[in-house]
Amino acid sequence: MNGEQNKKIKEVEEMLLDVGTLLMSNGASTGRVRTTVNRIAVALGYEAELLITSRSLMLTVTEENGSDYTSSVRRTPPHGVNFKLVSGISRMSWRVIEDKLTVEQINQDILRLTSLAHFPRIVVLSLVALAGASFCRLFGGDALEMSVTFVATFFGLFIRQEAIRKRFNPYVAIAFASFTASMIAGLSVRLGIGAVRETALATSVLFLIPGVPFINSLTDLLDGNTLNGIVRGVNGFIIAFAIALGLLFAMKIYGI
Amino acid sequence: MSIDLLTIPEKGIWFGFAALGFAVLFNVPSRTLIIIWLIAAAGGMAKLVLMLYGIDIVMATFAGATLIGILSVSAAHNKHAPPLVFSIPAVIPMVPGVFAYRMMLGLIKLSAAKIGDDSTQILSETASNGLKTLFILMALAVGVAIPMLITRKESIKKIRHKSDNQQVSDN
Repeated sequence: MNGEQNKKIKEVEEMLLDVGTLLMSNGASTGRVRTTVNRIAVALGYEAELLITSRSLMLTVTEENGSDYTSSVRRTPPHGVNFKLVSGISRMSWRVIEDKLTVEQINQDILRLTSLAHFPRIVVLSLVALAGASFCRLFGGDALEMSVTFVATFFGLFIRQEAIRKRFNPYVAIAFASFTASMIAGLSVRLGIGAVRETALATSVLFLIPGVPFINSLTDLLDGNTLNGIVRGVNGFIIAFAIALGLLFAMKIYGI
Repeated sequence: MSIDLLTIPEKGIWFGFAALGFAVLFNVPSRTLIIIWLIAAAGGMAKLVLMLYGIDIVMATFAGATLIGILSVSAAHNKHAPPLVFSIPAVIPMVPGVFAYRMMLGLIKLSAAKIGDDSTQILSETASNGLKTLFILMALAVGVAIPMLITRKESIKKIRHKSDNQQVSDN
């Protein structure tokens, strides 16, 4: 095995691990991780075999003529959901086939995708708060309850972002956020402002619901990736439990 | 929740905004935002119309989620983004938040009840709310996943790519 070839296959392996771990930690289903990594590997003339778990990725890359192979394991960092990245990598994987991208070009594209800007913080806070108010309306709230939910969601999400920035455990961050939102919504219920009812309280924590873990869990289970599906489902349940915990504390304090 | 035909378009608007908030939270590509708004509104209104005609909330949610799944798959081909980018934010407005909340309240009451108290009423309410929550969540997840799983095998892009290859080899 000559050194030049060895270096090249290592480069491909590093790149494929980057792609796989980025997809996994940003909210792609297991099937999508496997398909995308295989697609890129095949387009570059290699074969990839993957072992995908929720917290790490194991990869063996073999050259198509079978003379050279290499294996490696990498930890998948726990991360938030970033669909811009998932979508960007998916598009890039097609360009590897259609435009015959080289490994260097792919690495540049990964770098570009990971540095893409998020929505400005105030936009995220306001739109998520508006989503909370919309939930309130959908469950039959009036204008006053909607504004209570808006404020509660705004500050709840703010606290969650701050807790994550200060590197709290993610479940604890969710419990903090749920507690903050329900303290704000609960205050208006307790003081009896207008006709604020439980709708405001129940919908003020809905911005925390684990939609991505649950839907990906089911996709994985239906896809035959049973173990990953179970792991994601359990993760979703712990998040739901953390939400309930924060809400419960607030309700006990107000005696609602 | 009272439903009549006139309030459905208004609810559709709120379904759209609820989905938009989650879309921004999940950092979707900006070009998909309007489509997500429309898909969520369509799915939510489909659910409400079905419920108006007396269909049970679980089946209505399943139908709404399936519609969202189908629309997401076709949007995915037009906007060059994976279907889950559209479908996950769009189904979230249909989660049974209030049922889950009432189930939790019921569980707390049940755990505080003493043996010998008559808690039949609370028990049946809690079971009803809990089962509704569970089945609506399952209907959402399965409804939205099925169109993706059916179309995964032969995506339009893959078919196009195959025919390209054939043309090359034919030449």
